[in-house]
Amino acid sequence: MQNKNPKPIRHHVSNIALLLLALLPGRPALAQAAGELDALALADNSTASAAPARDWQFFAELMAGGQDQRTSGWEAEQRLSLDLNADVRFAPDWRAVLSDRLDLGWSGWLNEDNQVNTLREAYLSWQPDPAQIYDLGRINLRSGVATGFNPTDFFKAGALRSVTSIAPASLRENRLGSGMLRGQWLWDGGSVSALYSPRLADQRSTAPFSADFGASNASDRGLLVFSQAINDWLNPQGLIYAESGAAPQLGMNLSLLASDATVLYVEYAGGRAASQIDQALGVAGPQRFQSQLATGLTQTFANKLSVTVEYQYSSAAPDAKAWQALQHDRQAYGMYRAWAGTMQALTTEQALFTYASWQDFPVTQSELAAMIRHDLTDQSSLVWLQAMYHLEHADLIVQWQYGTGDAFSVYGASPASQTIQAMLRYYF
Amino acid sequence: MRRILTLCAGLLLAGGALAAPDAQQLLAASDAIRNPDKPFGLTTTLIEYRNGKQIDTSALAIYSRADDRSGQFRSLLRFVAPVRDTGKLLLKNGNELWFYDPSSKGTIRISPQQRLLGQAANGDVVTVNLALDYRAQYGGEESIQDGDRQIRASHKLDLTARTADVTYHRIEMWLDAGNQRPLKARFYAESGQLLKTAYYRKYQSQLGRERPTETVIIDGLDPNWVTVMRFSDYAWREVPESWLQRDYLPRFKPD
Repeated sequence: MQNKNPKPIRHHVSNIALLLLALLPGRPALAQAAGELDALALADNSTASAAPARDWQFFAELMAGGQDQRTSGWEAEQRLSLDLNADVRFAPDWRAVLSDRLDLGWSGWLNEDNQVNTLREAYLSWQPDPAQIYDLGRINLRSGVATGFNPTDFFKAGALRSVTSIAPASLRENRLGSGMLRGQWLWDGGSVSALYSPRLADQRSTAPFSADFGASNASDRGLLVFSQAINDWLNPQGLIYAESGAAPQLGMNLSLLASDATVLYVEYAGGRAASQIDQALGVAGPQRFQSQLATGLTQTFANKLSVTVEYQYSSAAPDAKAWQALQHDRQAYGMYRAWAGTMQALTTEQALFTYASWQDFPVTQSELAAMIRHDLTDQSSLVWLQAMYHLEHADLIVQWQYGTGDAFSVYGASPASQTIQAMLRYYF
Repeated sequence: MRRILTLCAGLLLAGGALAAPDAQQLLAASDAIRNPDKPFGLTTTLIEYRNGKQIDTSALAIYSRADDRSGQFRSLLRFVAPVRDTGKLLLKNGNELWFYDPSSKGTIRISPQQRLLGQAANGDVVTVNLALDYRAQYGGEESIQDGDRQIRASHKLDLTARTADVTYHRIEMWLDAGNQRPLKARFYAESGQLLKTAYYRKYQSQLGRERPTETVIIDGLDPNWVTVMRFSDYAWREVPESWLQRDYLPRFKPD
């Protein structure tokens, strides 16, 4: 309780004495002490107090931007999004989770076609004791340790309802959860979770405020996730996924600390399946064991720059020969691209992904991020840059993306060659 | 006579050895002042200043529990502020760090160098038993000015990392000679570069004894870069072993 009775006069005398000493030549150690005194004075005068914990987060995002259409030039676009996440403990063992986003987009006039509400999550969670938890409702379940492509993220298929940004984080954030019953059991260093997600509807809905269970629960599915820490640095996760009408898929996630600045990761899923083209076109093609892989590393540098480089592979996706053949069949090509987008699958067999983020650059409270997706099958690329500046309750964001490649390549085929967006995100 | 002289010399040497405080014991005693001996929770508020101007504030709710085997603390952290980070979670078990973002629903491993909290390293904001990670040598008695600008007699300890995987290679630490309270520390990189200076201050009675409720961190390269860490809401908490793993992290919600 020493601070309850400050002795300002003595403080001032000792401060002045130290400052005078600091001014004497040949006293570098005490010069530093003067800086330390200033720091202590700052702390003395600081009035900031502990922020109260909140059960919710709500923000509004206003976007203005444009798309450079390959055939018709620039087109303006605007969007207003309202985004809510709430996680409330309403009884000692019970929690209710709600996550919803409303996107109102317009290029000229606001009309109903541009309204998309995404009910991402709405579920109840019961934890009868510290080591077991049960959930019921719509849950946005995401698996995987990779950054740009997640083979073990089995519930990503069909989950995108409104794409407002191509940033990997945004694609994961703005998606539908699936209706499911889930249980998780924990022990020291390990856990197992099992879930059942039933078929609830057949058709996707474009109605603005539809819960759209046709998109998220179009078939009966189940997932078993198991993890066990083997030692302090090895903590693999295994997955078994089952879906009605399809062979079971196995998955594995592993990440390791290679140094105090480097994380290595590998994510794999495999099982019997038809080729992606056959699946997209509804052709009963031959089934064989297919593998999907994403592996890479994240390196952090002393200046707060983090760089991720990731290799992505899918044996079920078309190789160079199959991809070229598909590009000549425009109807099949269109169906395949739509399917791959919906399933968030790798479009061709191999790709390279690079993501860099630089905190507090070029000034404090700002952040630069860059992403390059490069298709190794047709050599097309997508470049995305983002500059962000944090204010106390708001973020200012500018994003630019640019696609290069031949007319029917992975990244050269989109109607717009480049897009620029400026956003103001305000947190309430 | 020679035997008596030898005995006297031996006694003097033994007396001298007994007079020099055991540095490792002093360090363990100061750890016990900073760290409660049972699982506990607290709120840490970080206020960051550049050139005298407040530039950032963040707050974390933290639950900590010492590992039954190693004795080292493991911690679950939930971001309380700023609002953009509300609900983000971190699990720290030595150098094993897992980060969960409630927006993307992803739990990823991060490296100790990946900063989430501005100037403060991830290792700064959680409880650490220094006596387990560092070998202490007694550096003599010094009079220093503490964080409340009082001149105090102190024991100086020189700490050297036992392994390479700790946040700081070397630490100089000053403990109050009367009660082993940590007063001040300097943290160095392997190159010898001063990384940070910390003052432990505002001692208050928390969870059964007097503990520092504020740490002032001054950057080693830029003394105008200052972070004030305030500790509040101390409470004993149940932190089961089974919670201290990656797959529980998305479930963690402090009371």
